[in-house]
Amino acid sequence: MSKFKKDSSREMPGVNTSSLPDIVFMLLFFFMVATTSKEVDPTVNVDSPEGSRATELTPYKQRSEVDFLYLGKPRNPARAAEFKMGFALSLDNVVQPTADGLYNTNAVGQWKKDKFDQKPARMTAPLEAVITCVKADKSAPSGLIFDIRKELQEINALTIAYAVRDNGLI
Amino acid sequence: MAKRELQEINAGSMADIAFLLLIFFLVTTTMDKDTAFIRSIPKKVIVKDPVPVEERNILSIKANNQNQLMVRGEIFSDPNKISEFILKFYRTNEKDNDPTNNFPMYSTATMSMIDAQLDKFDQQIEDAEKIGASKEMIEFFESSLKEWEKKKASLRLLGGEELREINGQAHVRIEVQQATEYSIFAKIQTEAEEALYELRNDRSMQLWGIPYSVLKRKVAQEKDKAFDEKAKLDLLEILYPTKIVEVTPKK
Repeated sequence: MSKFKKDSSREMPGVNTSSLPDIVFMLLFFFMVATTSKEVDPTVNVDSPEGSRATELTPYKQRSEVDFLYLGKPRNPARAAEFKMGFALSLDNVVQPTADGLYNTNAVGQWKKDKFDQKPARMTAPLEAVITCVKADKSAPSGLIFDIRKELQEINALTIAYAVRDNGLI
Repeated sequence: MAKRELQEINAGSMADIAFLLLIFFLVTTTMDKDTAFIRSIPKKVIVKDPVPVEERNILSIKANNQNQLMVRGEIFSDPNKISEFILKFYRTNEKDNDPTNNFPMYSTATMSMIDAQLDKFDQQIEDAEKIGASKEMIEFFESSLKEWEKKKASLRLLGGEELREINGQAHVRIEVQQATEYSIFAKIQTEAEEALYELRNDRSMQLWGIPYSVLKRKVAQEKDKAFDEKAKLDLLEILYPTKIVEVTPKK
């Protein structure tokens, strides 16, 4: 006859999970606020070269203040043959094709102008100060980059940024 | 009829919904930072006869279609050594000018010289406005005036009598060919940036004991408040200007 008799009829109480959604929502909001969304998933593969002492492009401002150009090999290998040296330019996810099957940098000027016209009113930087960032693959030929640069010079968009992967930056 | 009890909504699946959203955001967001070298493209102008640049003021770095490097006419096998060469380019004549070597000369500006330049440009703007000169002309004079004002502020900050400046024509010239890989071009840019960082950082440590990167971060974070830091950055940029010329490759 023990004093502490096991009460077999009592069931183990279940853990109250009603606050679980709250915790998960908290996590969700944290991630929503802390991350920047990828605006485009480029249709070309870009593997940036490494560099150091590069400037952080979007430390305290919105990503939309910078216009990104992608220069790389098309994701779809069948299309690679259509482009000069196998590299294609992706502007807002549209790979630029041309009648003669070469890549087309001529579209850069118009693209940049359209982008500038669509900027919201709170961005007051003049065209020559709006950064155009070229994200090029490490094996992309420099000639193409200079073609893009020339197009930008033509329309007076005078700030260019050459993207690199910076390992030294915190 | 018996009163029915109010049924509670089952919230058990709420967590599932939230998890679903959470995972969606986790997958669609990128955490990587965008880092790049920001360069300005020169304005398009047609120059009839360009001003000749002395050979000593050019540091040409060439890369060919086979990704081989050449610095000032000599083949370079180790791209990591380019920054050392750029440092040499800037530092050789920094203390004393030695006309026998092939590196850019430094000039000395005193406060009275800067004041004279300021007066000169003030006068020129006035004259230009009087005769109704073109807008570009006046803009050019105004930008020159601003530059000299910056120099004046810098010399004041530096203290002392004179400002030693590298020749205005001295520049790093990057010449690549059509098929040179972008990684090589980026490597040269990196090396130039490394050299400039080292020059400015050393000077910053020597003058105020603050690393250059700290100054830069402060200015980027508090744009409208960090006047002191901004003036210091201006001084460092006047002493060691970023002059990189990218030559368009021939077809």
